[in-house]
Amino acid sequence: MSEEDRPSGITRRSFLTGTSLTVAAAGILKTSEALAADAAAGKVQGPGEVALTMKVNRVIHHVKVEPSTTLADALRFTLGLTGTKVVCDRGSCSACTVHLDGTPVSSCMTLAVDVGTREVTTIEGLADGDKLTPIQEQFIAQDAMQCGFCTPGMVMSCAALLSRNHHPTLDEVKTAVAGNLCRCGTYPKVFAAAMAASGQKPPRGTQVVAHAEVLHDADAAKHEKERPADDPPPWPTSDKLKIVGKPAPRVDGKLKVTGQAKYTADVRLPGLLFARRVVSPYAHARVKSIDTSAAERLPGVKAVHVVERNEGAKLRNPPKVAEKYPTVRYAGQAVAGVAATSQAIADEAAKLVKVVYEPLPFVVELDDARKEGAPLVYPGPVDMGGSAGGGGAAKGLSQKGNVRGPARRDKGDVDAAMKSADVVVEGEFVTHVQTHSALETHGVVADWKPDQLTVYASTQGTASVRDELSTVFDLPKAKVRVVTDFMGGGFGAKFGAGSYGVLATHLSKKAGAPVRLMLDRKEEHLCVGNRPATVQTLKIGAKKDGSLVAIAQSSHGNGGIATGGGVGWIGTSLYACDNTRSEQSDVFTNAGPAAAFRAPGQPMGAFAVEQLIDELAEKLAMDPIALRDKLDAGPGSPGPGGNDAATRAARKAERHLGAERFGWHKRRKPASDAGVIKRGLGMAQSMWGRFVDLDSACEVRLHKDGSIEFLSSVQDIGTGTRTAIAMVVAEELGVRPDDVTMKIGDTQFPIGPSSGGSKTLLAITAPARVAAWRVKEQLYKTVGDKARALPLKKAAAKLPTESISAQATRSADYGGDPHGGYGGVQFAAVAVDTETGIIKVERMVAVHDCGRVINPLAVQSQINGGILHGLSYALYEQRHMDRQTGRMVNANLDQYKIAMAKETPEIEVVLVDQYLGRTATDANGIGEPANIPTAAAIANAVYNAIGVRIRTLPMKPAVVLAALGKLDGKQVSL
Amino acid sequence: MKSFEWVQAHNIDDAIAQLAPGVVVKAGGVDLIDRLKEGLDAPARVVNLRGVAGLDAVTAPGELVLGPLATLAELEANADVKKRWPALATACAHAATPQIRNMATIGGNLAQRPRCWYFRSADFHCRKKGGTICYAQEGENQLHAIVENRTCAIVHPSSIATALVAYGASVKLRGKKGERTLPLEQFFTLPEKDVTRENVLAPDELIVEVRVPATTAATRAAYHKQVEKESFDWPLADVAVVLEMSGRTCKKASVVLGAAAPVPWRAKSSEAILGGRTIDEHAAEAAANAAMQGTTPLAKNGYKLPIFRAIVRRTILAAAGGAA
Repeated sequence: MSEEDRPSGITRRSFLTGTSLTVAAAGILKTSEALAADAAAGKVQGPGEVALTMKVNRVIHHVKVEPSTTLADALRFTLGLTGTKVVCDRGSCSACTVHLDGTPVSSCMTLAVDVGTREVTTIEGLADGDKLTPIQEQFIAQDAMQCGFCTPGMVMSCAALLSRNHHPTLDEVKTAVAGNLCRCGTYPKVFAAAMAASGQKPPRGTQVVAHAEVLHDADAAKHEKERPADDPPPWPTSDKLKIVGKPAPRVDGKLKVTGQAKYTADVRLPGLLFARRVVSPYAHARVKSIDTSAAERLPGVKAVHVVERNEGAKLRNPPKVAEKYPTVRYAGQAVAGVAATSQAIADEAAKLVKVVYEPLPFVVELDDARKEGAPLVYPGPVDMGGSAGGGGAAKGLSQKGNVRGPARRDKGDVDAAMKSADVVVEGEFVTHVQTHSALETHGVVADWKPDQLTVYASTQGTASVRDELSTVFDLPKAKVRVVTDFMGGGFGAKFGAGSYGVLATHLSKKAGAPVRLMLDRKEEHLCVGNRPATVQTLKIGAKKDGSLVAIAQSSHGNGGIATGGGVGWIGTSLYACDNTRSEQSDVFTNAGPAAAFRAPGQPMGAFAVEQLIDELAEKLAMDPIALRDKLDAGPGSPGPGGNDAATRAARKAERHLGAERFGWHKRRKPASDAGVIKRGLGMAQSMWGRFVDLDSACEVRLHKDGSIEFLSSVQDIGTGTRTAIAMVVAEELGVRPDDVTMKIGDTQFPIGPSSGGSKTLLAITAPARVAAWRVKEQLYKTVGDKARALPLKKAAAKLPTESISAQATRSADYGGDPHGGYGGVQFAAVAVDTETGIIKVERMVAVHDCGRVINPLAVQSQINGGILHGLSYALYEQRHMDRQTGRMVNANLDQYKIAMAKETPEIEVVLVDQYLGRTATDANGIGEPANIPTAAAIANAVYNAIGVRIRTLPMKPAVVLAALGKLDGKQVSL
Repeated sequence: MKSFEWVQAHNIDDAIAQLAPGVVVKAGGVDLIDRLKEGLDAPARVVNLRGVAGLDAVTAPGELVLGPLATLAELEANADVKKRWPALATACAHAATPQIRNMATIGGNLAQRPRCWYFRSADFHCRKKGGTICYAQEGENQLHAIVENRTCAIVHPSSIATALVAYGASVKLRGKKGERTLPLEQFFTLPEKDVTRENVLAPDELIVEVRVPATTAATRAAYHKQVEKESFDWPLADVAVVLEMSGRTCKKASVVLGAAAPVPWRAKSSEAILGGRTIDEHAAEAAANAAMQGTTPLAKNGYKLPIFRAIVRRTILAAAGGAA
């Protein structure tokens, strides 16, 4: 037999989908001629389900699908092959890549009915049983994955390349994956994996430099002495440990590269219903009536729900008589939802819901919203509490029109001090709205049963979803279970149940069936979060010797209908200065609510302060690093963290390690290149707070057969949490990470931390180690100390009971407050085409600290990701709102531009270990510190290249050309 | 998307015979499926041309003859195209993503509807869709036309057309009443003619062939697509230059701009400057400046002018300095 057909009969999966039948090899084998006959010309098929035969991964399937069903949906829903992911659904991101006769295509833009006799290969069909292909093995070895949602598409693109080109150049690799979008920033490792899979050396700079310097905080030993009696003895430095501190492949790598990892978008339950939201086309409107009757009558519709929750901020003085329906305050806001037996029916039903709107005046841009007489987003002052993602504006701030605030932080006398300055540098800095654009959209599968609500959620905080649903539906927490096995990226936007999660739960409750509500790409851009646009003035006064005497900062930020438009604390806290003032205001607009986005406010703050410090250095004829050596010394203004002595020591080491590695001495005067292409070097610093979350618990179980389980509700959002915890537990128990069965992402388990604020490993690794240590001590207490000489498995066999377990909760930092922070320094080399305004970032060097590094491989991936976010923010990303209608015009992934393979510079990552003696592991996070300085470093490099300061992000060609004076006055509107 | 009847065409005449209101013919399906998903179109029947044998031929007996289903990937890789019509190969190699290039056909690429974000979104009932407003005039027009942009400001979406028009390609259309061949340049129409259409295809016509005149050792060509992001992006500006040389003198120049106008835009004044002269920096710069004379940029797309000046100049020099 030339065709390999795997006999499988009717699986439970295919039974559930009801429309797929796989053929046993011994039975009806279709020849390709017979398959061709099925696709016979001239026969009109549909509308309505059409019988198809498709060969997928060497197995012939008979399916029934609509002619309009895409191949992606046929694979994912009809055949249960969920490895192929749908992200943009428009052929712009290649996440849905499959092979047709070995040729990579976008399956979301291919109709199932059009596949014909072409053989389909999906990610599930690449490996030969358990034997992975070299590219899959290298994806694991090089850590070419993070959240894993883009991974199947990436692997399929690389596999297609390698099957026709056994020795690709780096450029050919980049071209092969040029269509594959990754939001986590895996590109450098993807290149390395493809090169390694073809037996070639990975590109220069791919290997992370770990433990480049080891810093011991002066108080570390003192702090360690303060640890609780039931905490284990402190670990030595990582060079003396077996597993921790050494590069480790992800324990879930195989699941990701084979398409087995299940995300919320992949969850299928018996009787699953599909939901669609009914959304407002108006940016601002009163809802006069909603008539759902026609939708309810449509066959297949099982539930309809009208939204009663308001979105956004709360009026301080709400009207005595509430409006019948929540006011619509942005185009795309949901007013109702429907659930039906298929997505197509749900989509049709949503169109049948009759909503009568009374459109109101609206305003969508920051400048317009600040003007006197601008349309009001809210009729009066509002407050907004923090969400599970943090933030929340200070209560009770004054509000005039759409401008709320400022929130003020004052130290000393700024105005007097500014007068005494020898040198003043100042500027106005503008940034635009960036949307999170995680590859997996926000969404849930909500399963309301009489005695339990189970919600599968794509979330950064399983407990945050549980808590919100428990409150909204008045359920005891014990009866609400949230599950996140894998999730496809969050970057700060995925906390809490969300309006969509609450809606799905209502629909499930009404229908008595599980309801799947995944936002589509457009909804994802509009409704669930963004990084606010900001306008900031920063003025710094200094003495001739460089010391700062005054910093005055004033900013306005546009978080749509939400607050959160700040510029962080880095502007007034990073450098020593006795007189500082920060006034940060929110400006409301009729646009989707902002949400915390990878170091909220800080990249904007860094973009301003790091450029002004460079300007100051130039005015004083000082090297920018030398000036920072002088100024990055205590005390800066108090803030959430990052300006303590230990963090300053880290940054000092990082400045010099980085300068040496980068070749900072090669930096020339600004605009040194005579030709059209001008090159330059720049650097910038990072500052983040070390946020301690004590609400972080876990359990470790040891079974008599030696198997080990770790249990916690903590979730892995792509950072490698699962692997880092496994490494910590394995280190403590003297086993390998693969020996630890990781059970995370489920609120049935002890409640661990949410994943945000760069605090996950900071919160969970200590109790993970403590629980493992306690279980170990309990074991030897039970079976005798002599068993310490045995391998753990043999010692466990002596247990009198089936298993033992120990729980642990994060104890306070040893020695108490303060919490400290993170440093980080990045260097950028750019080339600017001064005729086209195109900026290319050619190389970056990033030196970072994160306490004790648990897994250098994963930390490097995180830093690559932070840099790529920052680079993309600096150069490409911008939400465009149409002022005429108040609608976003680029709510997709081809005109909302995100950096991809060919924009990826060479990135060298250098890690510094820092032992603070604060916890049982001393591990910190890294996600946000890695994102904060990137745009600033690039901007400083651009100045060095062209001799002109750019104070607007993104630095698009129009912005660069305007700065260079290449646009005649009439054409500067951006 | 709304469902539809589906039928596999026997051959191209069968597809043409079925054309009627509510019936569309699908080639690669890339543009069609995007429009169906957005709800811009909702045909009752889709007739599948893909899979009909023999329509994807790429032959170069002298001129280049392309079947309508030849994919962009096939054109990119074809040895004859790369050698004798390099500007076309380059244009194909830089279009879309590798996956889309494997699927997209030359016929579909030429007939595709615009990428203007107002047109592409069901949220806006713009002039091109039968409404009364061109939202780009006062709106977000960063990516729109810098000339012939008062009625409708779309830019023509096919970067392949930029190269083909520069090579003087022609296109053969077949309808129920017969065939006609016309220069590709005349296939595309300005909004003033009929704002709801971009080309002369009659409702019962399909593109059945594209022909590109033979090039000689004296032909010099180059194509450049200026994007913001190299990986995957629509052009901010693109240009194709085809020069017929005689020794070091340019006898005839063809300079075509993409992403400048609702149709591939011949920079006639540039061509006039280049014709009959040695191509050097000076000539190229003069031609590049001339290309932007008479443009009428909108509030947000004036930045395209310096970009066009730069890339027109560079592409003329690249063409002159390169091989046929």
